[in-house]
Amino acid sequence: MKGYRKYFGKKILWFFITLIAALILNFILPRLMPADPVSAITGKMASGMTDASAVQEIYKRYEAEFGTNKPMLTQFFIFLKNLMHGDLGTSFSQYPRKVSDIISSAIGWTICLQLPAILVGWLLGNLLGALAAYIRKGFDKVLLPVALFMSNVPAFGMAVTLLVLFAVKLKIAPIAGGYAFDMIPNMSWRFVRSVITHYQLPFWSIVLVSIGGQAIGMRSMSIYELNADYVKYARFLGIKDRKIVGYVFRNAMLPQVTGLAMSIGTMIGGALVAEIIFSYPGLGSTMYSAVTAADYPLISATTLIITIMVLVVTFLLDIIYGFIDPRVKAAQFDS
Amino acid sequence: MGKVMLEIRDLKTKYVTRFHEDVFAVDGVSFKIEEGKSLGVAGESGCGKSTLALSMMGYYFPPLHYISGDIIIDGQNISGLDPDTVRKTVLGKEIAYIPQAAMNALNPTQRIIRFVEDVIHAHDPKADKKEIRELAEARFAELGLPKDVLDKHAVELSGGMKQRTVIAVSTILSPKVLIADEPSSALDVTSQKMVIKMMRELMEKGYIKSMLFITHELPLLYNVTDDIMVMYAGQIVEKGTAKEMVFDPVHPYSHGLMGSILVPEAGTRGSTLTAIPGTPPNLKKPPQGCRFAERCAYAKDECRYHGVPEKPFGEGRSYRCLMSVEQLREVYEHE
Amino acid sequence: MKNTIRQVFHSSKFLVGFIIFVAILLTVWIYPFFNPGNPLEMIGVGTFAKPGTYVSLYDALNTRTETLRLPDADHKRVSYLLSDADRVSMLEWFDIMDIDVSGLDATDTDALLDLWFKNYDPSVKPKGMTQAKRNFYKRLDKSVQQIRMADTLKVMHPEEGELVERSSVTKTDYVNVGDVANVKALPLGTDNFGRDVLKELVSATGTSIIIGLIAGIVATLIGLTLGLLAGYVGGLVDDIIMFITNIFTVIPSFVLLILISYSIGQEQRGATVVALVIGLTSWTWTTRSVRSQVISLRSRDHVNLSKLSGHSLVRIIVTDILPYIASYVVMAFILQVSSGILSEAQLSLLGLGPKTTVTPTLGLMMNWAMLYSAHTNGSWWAYFPVILTITLISFSLNLMNTGLDQVFNPTLRD
Repeated sequence: MKGYRKYFGKKILWFFITLIAALILNFILPRLMPADPVSAITGKMASGMTDASAVQEIYKRYEAEFGTNKPMLTQFFIFLKNLMHGDLGTSFSQYPRKVSDIISSAIGWTICLQLPAILVGWLLGNLLGALAAYIRKGFDKVLLPVALFMSNVPAFGMAVTLLVLFAVKLKIAPIAGGYAFDMIPNMSWRFVRSVITHYQLPFWSIVLVSIGGQAIGMRSMSIYELNADYVKYARFLGIKDRKIVGYVFRNAMLPQVTGLAMSIGTMIGGALVAEIIFSYPGLGSTMYSAVTAADYPLISATTLIITIMVLVVTFLLDIIYGFIDPRVKAAQFDS
Repeated sequence: MGKVMLEIRDLKTKYVTRFHEDVFAVDGVSFKIEEGKSLGVAGESGCGKSTLALSMMGYYFPPLHYISGDIIIDGQNISGLDPDTVRKTVLGKEIAYIPQAAMNALNPTQRIIRFVEDVIHAHDPKADKKEIRELAEARFAELGLPKDVLDKHAVELSGGMKQRTVIAVSTILSPKVLIADEPSSALDVTSQKMVIKMMRELMEKGYIKSMLFITHELPLLYNVTDDIMVMYAGQIVEKGTAKEMVFDPVHPYSHGLMGSILVPEAGTRGSTLTAIPGTPPNLKKPPQGCRFAERCAYAKDECRYHGVPEKPFGEGRSYRCLMSVEQLREVYEHE
Repeated sequence: MKNTIRQVFHSSKFLVGFIIFVAILLTVWIYPFFNPGNPLEMIGVGTFAKPGTYVSLYDALNTRTETLRLPDADHKRVSYLLSDADRVSMLEWFDIMDIDVSGLDATDTDALLDLWFKNYDPSVKPKGMTQAKRNFYKRLDKSVQQIRMADTLKVMHPEEGELVERSSVTKTDYVNVGDVANVKALPLGTDNFGRDVLKELVSATGTSIIIGLIAGIVATLIGLTLGLLAGYVGGLVDDIIMFITNIFTVIPSFVLLILISYSIGQEQRGATVVALVIGLTSWTWTTRSVRSQVISLRSRDHVNLSKLSGHSLVRIIVTDILPYIASYVVMAFILQVSSGILSEAQLSLLGLGPKTTVTPTLGLMMNWAMLYSAHTNGSWWAYFPVILTITLISFSLNLMNTGLDQVFNPTLRD
């Protein structure tokens, strides 16, 4: 048990350290802008507004919310305090909507889309990779180049391709949105069905993109394991091949969990961009509209939420990994 | 003469390389082991001794292929049986194997007891888990292994402990023949002694009825096994009792091997078999004459053209050379 | 060294990747010689001209004609002009009139028209058909008749408010494309601003590769320096560097990219700046792998010998360490280049790419195509070649990397 405690303790400590670092970065980067951030932002924001008093209003409000006239350190603590209360400021482009409202309506969409998609992609990829490693020969020869090619299609490229193929040409899927545009979110069957049909293309585009990379990783991992000494030994003790293949895949799959934890940060970037292509009502699209409208508080909040989400997922995967792979425990005892 | 536990008759097997070339690694090997006896196999690396170990189990998978010959265990010829019958009724039960790299022979993410269960279930699917545990605990205790090893993962065990665990698991079904392929060469001297002691115990307590011990460390063989045979280029060049082989080797190759280590201390390490100049022949195209001719100091022209049969002499000894035993002894006298 | 290179080129994966990448580079280099000029020049008015060769109609009319009597000319003309929608409308008419169309293939223009002329009667008023629909059928009938019957087209010439017939063109007039003064081949059509997509694509590929290279060089340099320091010096330096590296490994670099790019602002964001920013946020992998390599090298005999001989730190690193980790660094660099190109594209799609007026990049082209809904209005040429190019670049780089990996890590060799 000591090994596990040490492992989890370390992981929790790291989680908090990275969280604080992420908060600091999120806070400080925009404030390193060469010009006075507030006037630059409000200037940009207000360029469309003719009413001088509205500009004044935004400026004041921003100053009050973020305390931009106070020293940096004080500002940081105000930022932290607001964050604790779930207060992320007021949106510029959808004034006077609260940023936290906008985010909370988008976050569910993103989580429900990305998490299953990435997981399914991971599972399918591992399955195919394992299959390629086990069968080898022709299967492997065909699958490997295809997987390699697929893994290099950018997520947005896959999104556009699927969209054009299934929505524009074949017309068997809707073109955009998270549900039919003439509906109001509710729990009716009609709405749920609409959500499900709108879900397919974004989901599969993310799945297809992540399959390739995972399959390649799993394939080489499995080949490595299939040649391991324990495979030969187990065979000569009369254990069935099917059972041995089970050992191999378990052992090859476990490191893939850390692989997923490490790559989730990169994958989410591509997946968010894929959301834009489908105008999916998640964080990716929120970020896109925030960037187009130069809505600074919204951009800042979206990036922060995404970072926290990635940190949490990585942390959880690390914890799960610690439980399921005894090699981790052994490593902790060694060090 | 005791009951013959294992008899190998003119066994031939080959490796098929990636480029579809045949490598005749075991080329016409015959020998017997009687009940309660142990036989040592010595030879340079690449002489086919490990392949011999793999070939004797009647269970082949690529790149190793069976060509011809008989494997008779306690009167039953297993060479004609189909692989699944061999797997179920022979492997682990009649003939068991301890691999060369025992350090990695255990699946790192599996508890030892689970592996023992898998081994027993492979032969008796209905075996009761509780009974398996009782059997394993009793056997482990008898062999001086701590009971808690059973509930550990392989990664948590030390090198020596892993090796002893492998031996205990390999022999859990009390096989008639145990094949040990360099079971101790990767260990420190203390662990090595414990392993050897354990093998002796297994034999004394009747958990194994006979043993084939492969090593490149000759002194070890002299101390461990009753008989020794020397292998060269896929063939047995000489057989005899341990004492005879060390003090009165007949074949020029055995003579060269033994010459440098006449009176070995128990456990002396590092006396490798490279004292003879030259390299073994390419087994893709074995020479048509005597295989040792190229490196033999006493070779004549005819040696290169005439195949040499195994010639019996003395009390159950045999050798493979064109010259007579007397001629050879005389040549050695004059050196 | 020579042997290593030979071995690398023996790897079929590396070779295929290398050939694709070099082919792309050569195209980027050579194409502008054949089609010089500003890639962002708007040659077309209006958006998304289809790919193909464009012939000036004006010039064609002024070109000497030959008379050719090609047997299937009429057939081809009619089939081309009769749209799918018209065909469907005709079938609807047959359906309303209860005419047996079994065995009729709508794409068989001659059979369709024969049936049409045999059965269409403008005076019939089918039940339930609106006046507008009936008029539509009348127009359809007339235009089909015209396509079939008219022998000549009159070309009018506007002069001082008066239309004067200048010439007439018959169905059998042909001009040689080589004789027409203005012919423009647009193999990939034009984009939303009327710009030559192929020319733009070639230029954008060049820029994107440069962005990838700059990002790769920056990331590799940072990663190499930090990795060497952490691995070789060790101790507190190692702790600090690894602390920072671990933090930046977990925080998604994409988020940092967005924040920095946004903070820099549209005006300052040239292609080089974007490349630098990408490089600045993607060095962690290189640092980690260089560090672990250096640690395993640090205690090797030849390094110890060098240390005992009193060689300077720089010399030890350059002669005793760098050559051994070179293969890893090269592999990491290749991956950085490919991910740099992808990052630029993703940033641009978010609207945070390089400023739009100077040079096209692959990401910007994608962004424009999406902004102007090329994907929903069927203008595949505006985005598909871009996706394909990005995929091919990254595919070729990854193939090279896999090939190198197999050469340098023999355990992975099958």
